[in-house]
Amino acid sequence: MAPVTFSNVQKSYGAHSVIHGVDIDIADGEFVVLVGPSGCGKSTLLRMLAGLETISGGDIVIDDTVVNDLEPKQRDIAMVFQNYALYPHMTVADNMGFSLHHRGASKTEIKERVDWAAGILGLDAYLERRPGQLSGGQRQRVAMGRAIVRDPKVFLFDEPLSNLDAKLRVVMRGEIKALHQKLKTTTIYVTHDQVEAMTMADKIVVLNGGRIEQIGSPLDLYDNPVNQFVAAFIGSPSMNFIEGHVEGANFVTGDARLPAPTALPIGKPVVYGVRPEHFRLDPEGGINAEVVVVEPMGSETQVTMQIAGQNVFGIFRERVSARPGEVLTLGVDQTHTHLFDAGSGLRLTAA
Amino acid sequence: MNSNLSPRAKVAVYGLMLILLIPFVFPTWWMVTSSVKPISDIFAFPPEIIPSRFDFSTYRQAFELQPFARQYWNSAYIAAIVTCGTLLFSAMAGYAFARIDFPFANALFMVLLVGLLIPSEVTIVPLFQIFLGWDMINTHWPLILVPVFGAPSVFATFVMRQFFIALPKELEEAARVDGLGRFKIFWTIALPLAKPALGAVAIFTFLHSWNLYLEPIVFLSSPEKFTLPQALTQFTDAYGGAMWNIQLAAATMTAIPVLIVFVIAQRQFVEGLAHTGLKG
Repeated sequence: MAPVTFSNVQKSYGAHSVIHGVDIDIADGEFVVLVGPSGCGKSTLLRMLAGLETISGGDIVIDDTVVNDLEPKQRDIAMVFQNYALYPHMTVADNMGFSLHHRGASKTEIKERVDWAAGILGLDAYLERRPGQLSGGQRQRVAMGRAIVRDPKVFLFDEPLSNLDAKLRVVMRGEIKALHQKLKTTTIYVTHDQVEAMTMADKIVVLNGGRIEQIGSPLDLYDNPVNQFVAAFIGSPSMNFIEGHVEGANFVTGDARLPAPTALPIGKPVVYGVRPEHFRLDPEGGINAEVVVVEPMGSETQVTMQIAGQNVFGIFRERVSARPGEVLTLGVDQTHTHLFDAGSGLRLTAA
Repeated sequence: MNSNLSPRAKVAVYGLMLILLIPFVFPTWWMVTSSVKPISDIFAFPPEIIPSRFDFSTYRQAFELQPFARQYWNSAYIAAIVTCGTLLFSAMAGYAFARIDFPFANALFMVLLVGLLIPSEVTIVPLFQIFLGWDMINTHWPLILVPVFGAPSVFATFVMRQFFIALPKELEEAARVDGLGRFKIFWTIALPLAKPALGAVAIFTFLHSWNLYLEPIVFLSSPEKFTLPQALTQFTDAYGGAMWNIQLAAATMTAIPVLIVFVIAQRQFVEGLAHTGLKG
């Protein structure tokens, strides 16, 4: 277990810069998820931490040691790869005990550790099988087993669930989280799936184009996104964005007026952000929305609507029986709405 | 074969396959059967597809007329060393070209491949001069050194490089995280997974060395040093006429190790293929 620090970490391939000075502080035992669209540099950051990519600038510190120039084996980390990277010619037990074997551990010690890890992950029955004889979920567990047998300072996960089907992904998500709660080892987890990030992380780092957009707890990012990118990326279905401008205490788009969350310079072009679940059916709400599609889910109703010609998506706890073309009158929970600068995308706060 | 063919179509397809098989099987059949025919029956007309008389003494005579056992051993040990040497060098070189970043790697690889374009007939005289200078004429050294450091090895290096390029990098990265250095990664991860490629390289290297003809007749002069392809031409009577039945008996014995190597290497080949994939 160890804290990890990225300070002003940069990466470039020749003249092409892909990571532009990243700072992240990860506390001992924390579960941190690096999330962002593909090409945002999250995997590169993880691979730099693992020692699989060189660092072009800045420092990476694991447990008070600058590891920039250390080989992966000297960093005391363990990594789970997206395609598991299990050695196909070795049994499950050999795969899991491989690193211990190469560190000169005794046979009894290796067996003890492998049995311990197999016990935790429910792999006892498969120890003599080859990876090719296992299902995707089992292989994923073996990859995790290989990581935990060594008791490293840091676990690294590089999109470990993206090769699994949706149902298994949910199961494995829970297992990884439970494993972290049991072992309390510092974990850095890379994913492009914001649901994984939200459900697993103590702290989420949202990356875009090699830069950090925001760092915070899952709900903090959900409730207080610093810009439109984070607001759009975190949360599923995504936040609605409506373009318009400010008039007094209201946000105005076309002939619709919505209550603005903050007092702002009048006339400024802004983007109004509201999550689907923060609309409510309210005859006094004053927002008219024309129904486009109604999708009853049973527990909730998802409705695609148009407000002043702009598509918005709402989720209602009630059953909505409106037909396409009908007009619903909505209210919004003003404390959960945001205004973003139309140019920079930054969230506007009260002056 | 497609199982949803009608019985009639099946018969037709298998019949056609049998006919197409004849040109491949007939020479071997002719070699084996003629090796036990008296020499007069070999040229009998109409040809005897199934021998009417059997004479197995030809196999004994092959050993009596020449140091055939010795020659057999020469071919076998040379081919074994050449195969092992080529496997080792081509695997290491192929891995280096596939995985290690070093200056001019691609240019160097191209230069290496150009070596394949030069026919061995062109280099045989300079090679003779070189080995003469090293005092290696009428020894087996040229037959070992030329293939291991020559065209067959270059081709093998090409095959190995292509294989290692296709091997998932994550396996090696996992091994690096597990604490292995470059050579151990090569030896314990990459090489065991390269079995199919190694099997293919082993088959063609062994065959190439076993069938080598030009080099032995250039470099070797004493019968006890001869290799099999060269020895086969030496079964002649007092007038220089070929003793066909004895020669074919020797040729039959020559073909056996090739079959054995093929069967062994082929199994490796299939086994290796079965668990190389990293399918998710």
